[in-house]
Amino acid sequence: MITAVQKPFGEIYSMVQGVPRLLVLGCGTCVTVCMAGGEKEAGILASALRLANREKGVSMEVETDTIERQCDREFFDPVREKVEKADAVLSMACGVGVQFCSEVFAGKRVLPALNTRFYGTTEQQGVWAERCAGCGNCVLDRFGGVCPVARCSKSLLNGPCGGSQNGMCEVDPKNLQCGWQLIYDRLKLLGLLHLLEENQPARDWSTGRDGGPGKIVREDMVLDS
Amino acid sequence: MKAESNLEKVLAAGHFAVTAELGPPKSAEVEVIAAKAGYLKGKVDAVNITDNQTAIVRMSSIAAGVLARQAGVEPVIQITCRDRNRIAIQSDVLGAYALGVRNILCLTGDHQSFGNHRGAKNVFDLDSIQLIDALKGMRDGKIFLCGEEIRNSKTSPVVEPKIFIGAAANPFGDPFEFRVIRLAKKIKAGADFIQTQCIYDMERFEEWMRQVRERGLHKQVKILAGLTPLKSVGMAKYMRDSVAGLSVPDYYIRRLEGVKDKAAEGIKICVEQIKRLREIEGVAGIHLMAIEWEKMVPQIVEEAGLLPRPVLN
Amino acid sequence: MDKRIVAFCCENSALRAAQNVEDPAVLEAVELVRLPCTGKVEIGLLLQCLERGHPGVLVLGCPVDNCKFLRGSSRARKRVDMTRKILKEAGLDEERVRMDFLSSLDAHKFQRIVAEMRARLAAGRPKDAEEAPAEEAAKGGRR
Repeated sequence: MITAVQKPFGEIYSMVQGVPRLLVLGCGTCVTVCMAGGEKEAGILASALRLANREKGVSMEVETDTIERQCDREFFDPVREKVEKADAVLSMACGVGVQFCSEVFAGKRVLPALNTRFYGTTEQQGVWAERCAGCGNCVLDRFGGVCPVARCSKSLLNGPCGGSQNGMCEVDPKNLQCGWQLIYDRLKLLGLLHLLEENQPARDWSTGRDGGPGKIVREDMVLDS
Repeated sequence: MKAESNLEKVLAAGHFAVTAELGPPKSAEVEVIAAKAGYLKGKVDAVNITDNQTAIVRMSSIAAGVLARQAGVEPVIQITCRDRNRIAIQSDVLGAYALGVRNILCLTGDHQSFGNHRGAKNVFDLDSIQLIDALKGMRDGKIFLCGEEIRNSKTSPVVEPKIFIGAAANPFGDPFEFRVIRLAKKIKAGADFIQTQCIYDMERFEEWMRQVRERGLHKQVKILAGLTPLKSVGMAKYMRDSVAGLSVPDYYIRRLEGVKDKAAEGIKICVEQIKRLREIEGVAGIHLMAIEWEKMVPQIVEEAGLLPRPVLN
Repeated sequence: MDKRIVAFCCENSALRAAQNVEDPAVLEAVELVRLPCTGKVEIGLLLQCLERGHPGVLVLGCPVDNCKFLRGSSRARKRVDMTRKILKEAGLDEERVRMDFLSSLDAHKFQRIVAEMRARLAAGRPKDAEEAPAEEAAKGGRR
């Protein structure tokens, strides 16, 4: 899922100053799973905002609601009225949701409560880790299902580099596993180590972010044409 | 001959080669380069000029290399993949060649989190193997990575950079079993010479060389064994504990602890290491990385019996 | 009605201890809420108590290594720690929410915990004027 973490409270608090009526809008999908912006978190943040306001004598109406997700238009329908009544929306969705909410409610200020981090997985409850870089040209078949672009700090395709020690990455030898050690171990397990003897050529990065903001069109699915 | 550099000629003639290292200044102070080059002139066959080593900003390798050349030493320019994309790299290679550079060492590069600009965007458009391949393509294929010929216009001559291509090898990194395979990949990509990370664990290095010889790799590429003389116990411990990819046996630390003049003992150890390395089949030379201690290089090569250096045409 | 300190009490320990307290002033100062285990508390719930005007919140239960439901007590502790962190970031006195551990026999400890909370709340006086008279009255009633 897309993972995110809440911005520091102080940063959020400054952002919402001067807003008479605020709607804290949670999102029920990715950010619920990574426990950053779901219904529970929205409730807690709204409470904290109200308590902080009371403490400082700031007058602000803080409303809360949560929708299924903020990246598909139809899910905003149930909260349309609430959004319209609010002076600003504090969106607890990922960067996609914040922007889309902004687009759907053009003219309404939408503020981000979260810092979007990465495409990742839940390694265990409370721990999420990056897995995919959205590079647009998946080569997982060549690396035993471990991505060198996302999981190697240098995105090497012919790794590892000299900084791999005891299976850990030089960037954080105590906590960060070397992606290439993982690739090596996995291919060894699969009996496919010979794949690593091939030199991977220079990569075309234009399929990902380097090519500019992306767009996908399924002609057969577009309704109006 | 691919580049006709001094280093290439020395190795081709079968001499035990000696290279050293020079770190450019963290400013525009050119006198630093001349001073360091002064110690090394005539004592070594070529001098590596580091490229923003450990991601700390220093004068560019090419600029410092050209200045070193003016001061009388042959430079080995280093290019890392961390800071430049393929466009900048190929452009720099053309420029370096035009300014008289004939040796280039291709490196992955330390991650920017090590240096003084941690928030910088890292590039890593290419990795070191793709970089070697790109240089080989420029030199032998006379084309850029995109496939276009290296000529200014359809009617201009092809003027490709004739570079002696180097790569690094780390006999001590993990996974150990894979290290020799990676060396083979670099050779396949086009490496002409190899410089290893500095060696302290002789046994482990000898084991790595045995695997190298088993595959016949020592015949396909010239391997220079890396060495760094130990100045003090503190330095030895630091190398052991804080530098990724290095293995420093306690034996050396105990030796240094047991004497009064640690620096002299460090030089003695280094000379012993050189003598031992000369005995290993497949080692074509040494790469002396006397970081901020370049002035000791003349003494080390002298005591190791490596002077005078061959002068070839 | 003046707002009192809310005490979420695990029925296996703290609640029984509370029931053996004799000092009426202590009992008047708190509003007891019975829980099957302190593990039932959530951050949002604790914040809501403060939003509603309660001056302080106590979460009282079995020691972490003696929880009837094994992990309830330790989970509660993490949630209370998180709540205190949120209070601090919001500019409030984090001591307004506390967790403590006691056995069913420890009526004295229950008393002491409540007394300490009241003293702390009086010292770091909240801005709401309505709570101040209640504190004074409670203090006066103790003798």
